[in-house]
Amino acid sequence: MKHQRRLMVAAMTLPMLALAACGGGGDEETAAGGGGGGSTDCAASDGEVTLNFVTWVPGMDQVVDMWNQENPDIQVEVETTPAGNAGTYSNLFNGLEAGTAPDLSQIEYDSLSSFRLQDGLQDISACEGVSEASGDFVDWTWSQVQLGDDGVYAIPQDTGPMALFYREDLFQQAGITEPPTTWEQYYEAAKQLKQATGAYITHFPQGDANWFTGLLWQRGASLFELDGDQVQVNVDSPEAQEVADYWQRMIDEDLVATNLQGFSPDLYAAWNSGQVASWPSAAWGYSTIRDNAASTAGLWRVAPMPQWSEGDEAAGNWGGSTTAVLSGTEHPAEAAQFALWLNTDPEALAMANELGGLFPAANAGSELPALQEGVEFYGGQEIFSIFTEASSQVDTDFTWGPTMTDTYTAMSDGFTAALNGQGTLSEALTDAQAASVESLESQGVQVAD
Amino acid sequence: MTAVAPPTTPSSPAAAPRRQGRTAVRSRAWIWFTLPFLVPFVLFYLLPIGYAIGQSLTKTERTGGIFGETTTTFAGLEQYSRVVTDPAFLNGVGRVLLFGVVQVPVMLGFALLLALLLDSAVARLKRTFRIVYFLPYGIPGVIAALMWAFLYSPQLSPIVGLLQDGGLDVEFLGSGTILWSIANVVTWTYTGYNMLIIFAAMQAIPQSVYEAAKVDGAGGLRTAWSIKIPLVLPALVLTGVFSIIGTLQLFTEPIVFRAISTNVTSSYTPNLLAYTTASANNYPLAAAMSVVLAVATFILSFAFLRATSRRSGL
Repeated sequence: MKHQRRLMVAAMTLPMLALAACGGGGDEETAAGGGGGGSTDCAASDGEVTLNFVTWVPGMDQVVDMWNQENPDIQVEVETTPAGNAGTYSNLFNGLEAGTAPDLSQIEYDSLSSFRLQDGLQDISACEGVSEASGDFVDWTWSQVQLGDDGVYAIPQDTGPMALFYREDLFQQAGITEPPTTWEQYYEAAKQLKQATGAYITHFPQGDANWFTGLLWQRGASLFELDGDQVQVNVDSPEAQEVADYWQRMIDEDLVATNLQGFSPDLYAAWNSGQVASWPSAAWGYSTIRDNAASTAGLWRVAPMPQWSEGDEAAGNWGGSTTAVLSGTEHPAEAAQFALWLNTDPEALAMANELGGLFPAANAGSELPALQEGVEFYGGQEIFSIFTEASSQVDTDFTWGPTMTDTYTAMSDGFTAALNGQGTLSEALTDAQAASVESLESQGVQVAD
Repeated sequence: MTAVAPPTTPSSPAAAPRRQGRTAVRSRAWIWFTLPFLVPFVLFYLLPIGYAIGQSLTKTERTGGIFGETTTTFAGLEQYSRVVTDPAFLNGVGRVLLFGVVQVPVMLGFALLLALLLDSAVARLKRTFRIVYFLPYGIPGVIAALMWAFLYSPQLSPIVGLLQDGGLDVEFLGSGTILWSIANVVTWTYTGYNMLIIFAAMQAIPQSVYEAAKVDGAGGLRTAWSIKIPLVLPALVLTGVFSIIGTLQLFTEPIVFRAISTNVTSSYTPNLLAYTTASANNYPLAAAMSVVLAVATFILSFAFLRATSRRSGL
């Protein structure tokens, strides 16, 4: 009986132990909250080191194999996951809270601030070679990984400078011989196309708020300003409203497809059947079209982004990632060393470009042989020279908000109303402004008036 | 458990202590039988609920600038007042209620009809159709939603294509139609499941009741209306409660359809909103939403049980 009672007690205390464990986790988290942000030293570890690296770039495991062969003392284990916003970020945030996060992860530029806000990033500015590398990357990418202070919170991996993919044949059928150079011309082209071929000039994807943000970026709209103590939110600035009004007119006049979600089988079907004739998109979009609209091979071309004023040279950026060292790693020096190699070594860059279709953030990357050649799917056009040029025209001051998820969500929800004629894109921006402020306040961040 | 005492009264005072001892052992035995249930129940059900309630009463505060240090402080009912005044949350609740008011009666009506048909069919067909009706429930929710998404897709669907050839321009995923397209998927999935519960209740009706009805001269329809339906009422109420709970938790279909439709917002259903909120690292608010949703489900389920208790006997 005594034995039984002991077992009983053990069984009953189990849940309490679990409860205590939860409490313990909480304490640890606040303790880390103080340490992770402040510590900037970067000491090398002794002996053999194993690093975990989360990424969703296809073929990255093969690039890492190359590193592992050359660096027996620093072995990297790749974990391939779904894209960040498809669940991986949530897992990382949970892992950071529980103390089980990997040493390194792929993180997109627009999410770096969110990770910093949850104290998830290790400042690697003191690690060997990191600060010196600032000149090795396209200008705007380096300011993005600094997040408004002196630290360095990630190494730029790839970028998504934007240009216009268009169906040359459909444009010509509609009597458009030169690709539009201004947004006004693009609007005129949309009308001509619709009339002559019945095709929409493009689709307005309800879910791709980050696409729309790329367009705002091109217009010079700076959505956020971080001044150390507080955040200024300018999501509905006059510049942003101008872009919203432009696309609202396209929706109102039925010149863009409103029922095609981005990256959906429906969109691909519409590309293949010629119902949608262009896509203002990022460098990496070349493989999206190539792989999903195979029946239109040879018909697409790439032109620089239409401008807001004739003669301007501004480009936006959509997507692109960094390699970030996460707080809680025991080997920041080795992790930083690997991240630097991964994103600057010519062989690694070439391989990541070949297998993963990455458009490198490193300056050296633009000289990759593969990026100098004509691309068959685009009629042999040397499309990457356009993206390289666009990359140099991306506004370096653009800053992401620390709660970008909520900003995007509010924008997308507003897009739904606009696409149904129950609201406008301008209202979507107003909502996103309010949602961003509310979200920042819920995270205890001060918002400037 | 001590209530399960032997029916005989103690015959002599001397026998009493011994019997009490045995009852004591027996009364402890229930613990061992319930442990396999209780431990996971506490660990994975009660504890998370307690944790969520705890979290819902907190908020995050930050000192030392934008990326400064955070502390979690007690905030009372602040998150709850935010939830109940959030138009997005209330719209989502309104949407699922509208959905439930229409979809649940339609589905249960179908289930009852199918059960009645099955009950009156010949034995060989019974077995086949029972499986056929039940089959959709065996398909995982996400797979079913993906399949229907294809059938609804404006570009790829063979149904939409055929209708267009016939001169009918139907948008299954349009802003006014998508809710009912989702209702169709849910009905398709769960009608067979509910039918099976009702059918099982029908099988339990004693044969003598039917014989009595026959003697009284009742035909098939009369038997169905006056005997079968009243006697399976408890089962109908049970499926009703399950359906109310399921409706409020609507999540899979909207999130799958979001990949192809431009008409599903992040707050389309309350459950989806809680998920979105948690993904944006606002755990206290997401916890408060979940608690409000759970309480609403309890209230609705019990109100339904109460309203039907007189007739169903449950």
